[in-house]
Amino acid sequence: MRRLPIALLLCVIFWFPKTTLSQTLTFSAIPDQDESRLIERFTLVELYLEEKLGIDVSYVPVKSYAAAITAFRNDQVQLAWFGGLSGVQARLAVPDSEVLAQGIEDQAFKTYILANTETEVEPGPELDPRILGSTFTFGSKGSTSGRLMPEFFLRELFRHAPDELFDRVGFSGDHSRTIDLVEAGAFEFGAVNYEVWESELARGQIDTSKVQVIWETPAYPDYQWTARGDLRAQFGPDILNRLRQAFLELDDPKVLAAFPRSGFVPAHNDDYLPVLDIARSIGLIDPARESSRP
Amino acid sequence: MAYFSLDDAQARYGGKTILRNLNLTIERGERVAILGRSGVGKTSLLNLLYRQHAEEIALVPQDFGLVRSLTVFHNIYMGQLSRHRLPYNFLNLIHPVAREVALAKRVTDRLGLTEKLFDRVGELSGGQRQRVAIGRAFYFNGPTIIADEPVSALDGARSREILKLITDQHKTVILAMHDIPLALDQVDRVVGIADGQIVLDAKTTGLNRSSLYDLGLVDD
Amino acid sequence: MTLVSLTINRRRTPLRNATLVFVVIALVAAVFADFELIALKPWGELAKIFAGALTPKFLDAERLIEAAVTTLALALLGVMAAAMIGFALTFIYRHRAVRSVCAFLRNIHELFWALMLMQVFGLTAATGLLALVIPYSCIFAKIYSELLGETDPQPAAAIPGPVGGFTRFLFARLPDTMTQLGTYTAYRLECGIRSSTIMGFVGLPTLGFHLETAFSQGDYGGAWAILYLTYAVIATLRWWFRPRLLPIYIIAAMFILPLNSGIEMSHFIRFFTSDIVPAPLARGDGLEGFLPWITMMATEQIGPGLASTLILTQIALVLSGLVALIAVPLVSRQFGGPVSRIAGHLALVVTRSTPEYIIAFVLLLVWGPSMLPAVVALAIHNGAIVGHLTGRLADDLTLRPDAIGGFNRYTWEVLPRVYGQFLAFLFYRWEIIFRETAILGILGIHTLGFYADSAIAEFRLDRATLIIVVTGVCGMGIEAMSRRIRTRLKLTTSVEEAKES
Repeated sequence: MRRLPIALLLCVIFWFPKTTLSQTLTFSAIPDQDESRLIERFTLVELYLEEKLGIDVSYVPVKSYAAAITAFRNDQVQLAWFGGLSGVQARLAVPDSEVLAQGIEDQAFKTYILANTETEVEPGPELDPRILGSTFTFGSKGSTSGRLMPEFFLRELFRHAPDELFDRVGFSGDHSRTIDLVEAGAFEFGAVNYEVWESELARGQIDTSKVQVIWETPAYPDYQWTARGDLRAQFGPDILNRLRQAFLELDDPKVLAAFPRSGFVPAHNDDYLPVLDIARSIGLIDPARESSRP
Repeated sequence: MAYFSLDDAQARYGGKTILRNLNLTIERGERVAILGRSGVGKTSLLNLLYRQHAEEIALVPQDFGLVRSLTVFHNIYMGQLSRHRLPYNFLNLIHPVAREVALAKRVTDRLGLTEKLFDRVGELSGGQRQRVAIGRAFYFNGPTIIADEPVSALDGARSREILKLITDQHKTVILAMHDIPLALDQVDRVVGIADGQIVLDAKTTGLNRSSLYDLGLVDD
Repeated sequence: MTLVSLTINRRRTPLRNATLVFVVIALVAAVFADFELIALKPWGELAKIFAGALTPKFLDAERLIEAAVTTLALALLGVMAAAMIGFALTFIYRHRAVRSVCAFLRNIHELFWALMLMQVFGLTAATGLLALVIPYSCIFAKIYSELLGETDPQPAAAIPGPVGGFTRFLFARLPDTMTQLGTYTAYRLECGIRSSTIMGFVGLPTLGFHLETAFSQGDYGGAWAILYLTYAVIATLRWWFRPRLLPIYIIAAMFILPLNSGIEMSHFIRFFTSDIVPAPLARGDGLEGFLPWITMMATEQIGPGLASTLILTQIALVLSGLVALIAVPLVSRQFGGPVSRIAGHLALVVTRSTPEYIIAFVLLLVWGPSMLPAVVALAIHNGAIVGHLTGRLADDLTLRPDAIGGFNRYTWEVLPRVYGQFLAFLFYRWEIIFRETAILGILGIHTLGFYADSAIAEFRLDRATLIIVVTGVCGMGIEAMSRRIRTRLKLTTSVEEAKES
């Protein structure tokens, strides 16, 4: 009985982000996929950055897109792998933050519209209007490829909000679940990040007799590394450049395959203005908030 | 001016007037027994009197008013709460001070409770609890006691002995009793209540005991 | 003569009438409810989940123990701090203003608190702690006040001489209530462990964090391992939770949770002066901009959100009652043999100690985001609690030796005697079911929580705040209504019953 508290004391480990003590660079990422895949991927990134920059780097997993942005905003993480929309939101919240780099694929990212095969809707160059009145699931509420862009293109094509287009609209939470739900028939259709689809397909995780891609959206810019400007105060004035350089020089196939990206290219805040415009046009970002923080 | 005085007072209980036209004065140094059948309003009369000098009266209520989860010592010590500052009281609650324990022991010695000094009151018998309530009154050590049936739960010999202790310890004594012979031995004045009024107020010397029965002051 | 007695009997059935009214409301609500099963093979997945229960996988023991220790530390610190604050509040609880503020604060679910506090403190211990401390302090203030208020006034009156109020309280009121206060606090610690587990679902590093991951990834064996760990911690509470050891635990907990991390005044100020100010006002549009904004919020979010929250609440309330009535004969000594009773108890213990949030989360995974999984989760969790309490009451009944057996025994001998109490228990759950229903929106059912969660996802904390405040106020309304109904039906409302809430 008496020994238990001592055991508890011995268990003392700090699990929360150690922002106040740190010469540690803490980073996070939007949880757009199964957590075990994310941990696998970002542990590799952690090691790569530590080696490349010679500083302590630590990855903190979060449970929601909003939590990733909040952590970035509150300086609990200083660097993050955001999607197009979450990156725009984060940079509005932290005005001096900067886009460092994006994946080669992120310059022209796509969303796949999935269909359960029992719907008998076939792939085509145009999105088949037979999907109207069915059940449809997005990914996370804050996802670019899983929500913002597919919603935008659906509105463009059919001139109505998703709630009015479909019998039922869901938010699965992440891309892996979107695939599962459409495959299981829980939803007839869904919108998914094309990279997640391709990589799960390659890993043999998808039963293509049950779910297939019926349409792909036009291209848009998506994922990017964003860092807080005040990192300079902590790690020196050239830290953002060093980080950017580290991503651009990343050529370890194992790390790249984990994203999966074929490489990284430089990117800038302005590259994401189209995303901001779209978010504003479908009412996901208030014009007021945006204009108050240019 | 009399010590206690009621001038055409009335007592209410549960929204009903149960005693009226009360005219009564009691001087310092008097020993008075209030007699009457159960439920006639003796307790209400005692409460009226108690309120007149609450700060200096040791009260022994009929249901003792003890704290069941505290020990005999604590319940007796509660008689002295008004004489000490909060920190000292608190200290005694957490860890009884030797001096207070010794003083409490003097009280329990007289009441035959010393071996129970650190037992919880909730574990005691009715008679023992009654003695704890009296012990608290002794510990208060005021000039006046008002006791409501203070020996009802005790056996004959012991009740006589303790009633004598009560009357010896205090200058002014007001008792509500229903054991008339026992009461008459210890007091020098009786006040009888029946039908919501005072029907008798007399010295014990020369009192005709059978008249108490005629006045309806005794349970059948 | 017969005629007279008949009319009298007809008039005096307030319990039956109340039951009827609530059943009718639930039936009407069911017409508007959405009970679709949104999955093709929901039962196969459910079977896999049950299979997982039999084959738990304790793979990553180190991470689980870390999470379990964090869960415990958070619960311990939170509940103990709340107990102290709640106790202090009892001294001013008689003021109407204090009571109202407490009622409001405790009617906001700890997960809502966690979501909002995260905006100020981020993913830190402070977020989790405050999310527990704020509602729990107010619950403690209420229950402690009631417990203290129920003490016998005689001992306080019997202290001779002029004695101050606090001394009187210390000697005459507190000692006799200590045991009950202690029991209630220990019970709350149990709730605190469940709450702190749940907070992992929004990202704090407690057991819920890994539970969410495991369930989402279909790792049901791993998920059950975590659930079993939670049950074990709660079931062994009585052996390791000793008042004597409390200081050591608290010190250990303070070491485990770094309390100083990430708390910055500027975030705090930003939250109150900018984040939660309605957008049109922050923009400087004044009333002209505010009116359309509030109208939009009322008609597009709060209106529909509140409607489905209430629909779900009323259906879940009646179904909870039904589940409880079915459960009573399964667990009561008055019926059945030892085998059925043990099975019944086991089922109730599991459903009672699994938070409805987790049950709903699992059912949503397999049945899709309609109201069905939510109603089922709420009904089996709350029904198990009410059934357990009512069953205990039934156990205490002494029936005549010649009392009839079987179903007749239940309907003629037992139910009439416990029905009033049963309704009291159920009405106590009403406001809790409402709170939980609102929060289940986070999982995708379109109750108030859905709109609050969406607003947070869109970084519109002004909207989220408004929705959460509305939720709190409605919770207060339901609490008041429940109290009024209990008084009118003359259902006893002693504190003992509040315990399970």
